[in-house]
Amino acid sequence: MNIVVASAVPLLGLITEPVSVAHYLVVGAILFVSGVVCMAMKRNALGVLMGIELVLNGANVNFVAFASPYLQGEGSRSLGLDGQVIALFVILLAAAEAAVALAITLNFYNNHATVDVDRADDLKG
Amino acid sequence: MDLGSLLTSTLTDTLEVSLPLFRVELALSATIVLVLLCRMLPVLRWLDSALVALGGVAFALWYAWSDLRGLPGSPWPAVVAATHPASQELFGGLLIFDSLTAYIRFLLAGFLVLYILFTKISGIPDREDGADFYTLVLGSSLGMCLMASANHLLMIFMAVEMASVPSYALAGMLKGRKASSEAALKYAVYGAGAAGVMLYGISLLAGVLGTCHLPSMAAELGRIVGDGADSFYVADSAGPIMVLTLGGLMMAVGLAFKLSAVPFHFWCPDVFEGAAAEVGAFLSVASKAAAVALAVRVAFGLGWLGDAADASAAGLADVRHFLVYLIGLMAAVTCTLGNLGAYGQTNMKRLLAYSTIAHAGYLLLGVAAAVAMLGVDPEGCRKAVTALAFYLGTYLFMNLGAFAIVAVLRNRLRSEEIAAYAGLVRSNPGMVVAAGAVLVSLVGLPPLAGFVSKFLIFSSLVEAITKGIERPLMLVLLVIGGLNTVISLFYYLRVLKVMTFDPPPEDRVAAPAPVWLPGALVTAVVVPVVLLGIFWSGLYAYAQLAGTFAS
Repeated sequence: MNIVVASAVPLLGLITEPVSVAHYLVVGAILFVSGVVCMAMKRNALGVLMGIELVLNGANVNFVAFASPYLQGEGSRSLGLDGQVIALFVILLAAAEAAVALAITLNFYNNHATVDVDRADDLKG
Repeated sequence: MDLGSLLTSTLTDTLEVSLPLFRVELALSATIVLVLLCRMLPVLRWLDSALVALGGVAFALWYAWSDLRGLPGSPWPAVVAATHPASQELFGGLLIFDSLTAYIRFLLAGFLVLYILFTKISGIPDREDGADFYTLVLGSSLGMCLMASANHLLMIFMAVEMASVPSYALAGMLKGRKASSEAALKYAVYGAGAAGVMLYGISLLAGVLGTCHLPSMAAELGRIVGDGADSFYVADSAGPIMVLTLGGLMMAVGLAFKLSAVPFHFWCPDVFEGAAAEVGAFLSVASKAAAVALAVRVAFGLGWLGDAADASAAGLADVRHFLVYLIGLMAAVTCTLGNLGAYGQTNMKRLLAYSTIAHAGYLLLGVAAAVAMLGVDPEGCRKAVTALAFYLGTYLFMNLGAFAIVAVLRNRLRSEEIAAYAGLVRSNPGMVVAAGAVLVSLVGLPPLAGFVSKFLIFSSLVEAITKGIERPLMLVLLVIGGLNTVISLFYYLRVLKVMTFDPPPEDRVAAPAPVWLPGALVTAVVVPVVLLGIFWSGLYAYAQLAGTFAS
């Protein structure tokens, strides 16, 4: 079974087809877009950080889906273990990044008494 | 293959091949551990962490130097004969060691030595914060060394993040300052967002190409783009090419963020203004060198497979064509907007931030020329990479000098505004001469180092034009580069004009600071700017060595 990445009506066929990489990619894409929207719209710095987590996890879903040999069509190569290892590294890294970003947010709160990113407007020009 | 032989071969590869060529990173890691250990043990607390860091970095510099010297074709009369292969994949293809890796590592280690001395003299961080500061700096540099040698998408992402995450914290190092905390927040949010987008792009590229190893990706990419026939995914090739383009552009977002290239440069002026001048020096020199090296790595890795002329060669030519236009466009916009943004700045650090953006543009011009000539004209391509490597070498001294002057003047005048520098020539003539040398060199006027490096970049563009490679684009880039050099003249010279002709403010209090140590520091950094403008053949020989990595 082939995955038609860019056919005329790309998403309709997914409902009737058996679960494949494409289904996972759709979930990943939804997570990614939600994350980007969250990053762009939220005024609360913590909300922005949550958006970043969503983006990273959207990519992670892609990696894991690409890594699985069972989801691929016949005769195709999967990303194999690489994809799963990358996903693990990204989980680790997201935690580290969140720790640093939360510390920075706390530092910002100590100086500004708010975590509203729109209030970070002293530096401009 | 049974488990035993697998283990043996992995062990041999790691211990005998990879680790000896990984000494620089190991030395940096050991230094981080030592710095933290010295802070923890009560017996060693009296030890200044700057000294510990300096010692470790000196080891790293020595290793980097011997790695560079051990390459075949090294200009240094080898004490030990060429001991390394010209190109060697480490850790099963995750990293690659070649002359570009060795050169950038050497540059980074050399920069770190000067940088630790600089921060020790300029007084930020103070002794209490020293361990935190140097741990972050060394950790970030470790990521930058990995950026220069990444050969696998996982390493590219991890290295970029490893270089970025500590620098977010560095930007917020001045605790209790509103501007500093704001700079750190902006940097962290923009940086994490760019990294997330980059990771998504990487996942698309890796998924469509079925591998994360750059050379294998190039082979698959050439096949998909080249014959347009079905890849392992789809019947029509428009789909994967579209996904690949999207993935490539998303990955370019992450790289452009590291390079502070337009349109992902917004963080740069804010972070430089809010953070200490010392942090600005680190971000503008080290981070830029590593980002340029990574951009070259990715563009060369995805666009070229060696001389083997097979089915994928034609496809890769298309890939390179796309890359040249992408990089060229970004370069033109980056240097123009960087230079225009620098006008009307009143804060010296902010002006230097825009100058950094503009210089990222000039460096990208060189990358565009190198990618254009890649595979078509090997000699020209080597020269373009040589120009880039030389540019990075001189840029180290120019920008470190500029930020050292800002830091020293901040300690003396308690201000980083350009207006506060008025009439400085009467009280600090030496500092103004040094600032003059650095700023004129940043413009790119002879006889200073900046002229030679800019000349080399432009001459590689000219070489592409005369050989008719991507001629219209290269011509446009050359004209834009030239025009930008002219417009950059005014804002750099405005600073000098304020320093020399304007009357000093009435209420200036000259802080009673020891003069000779900062003076010696600035001299040590600025003298190479002058010397490299005249005696540039030494550095050029090593830059040439770095240029050989593409062949």
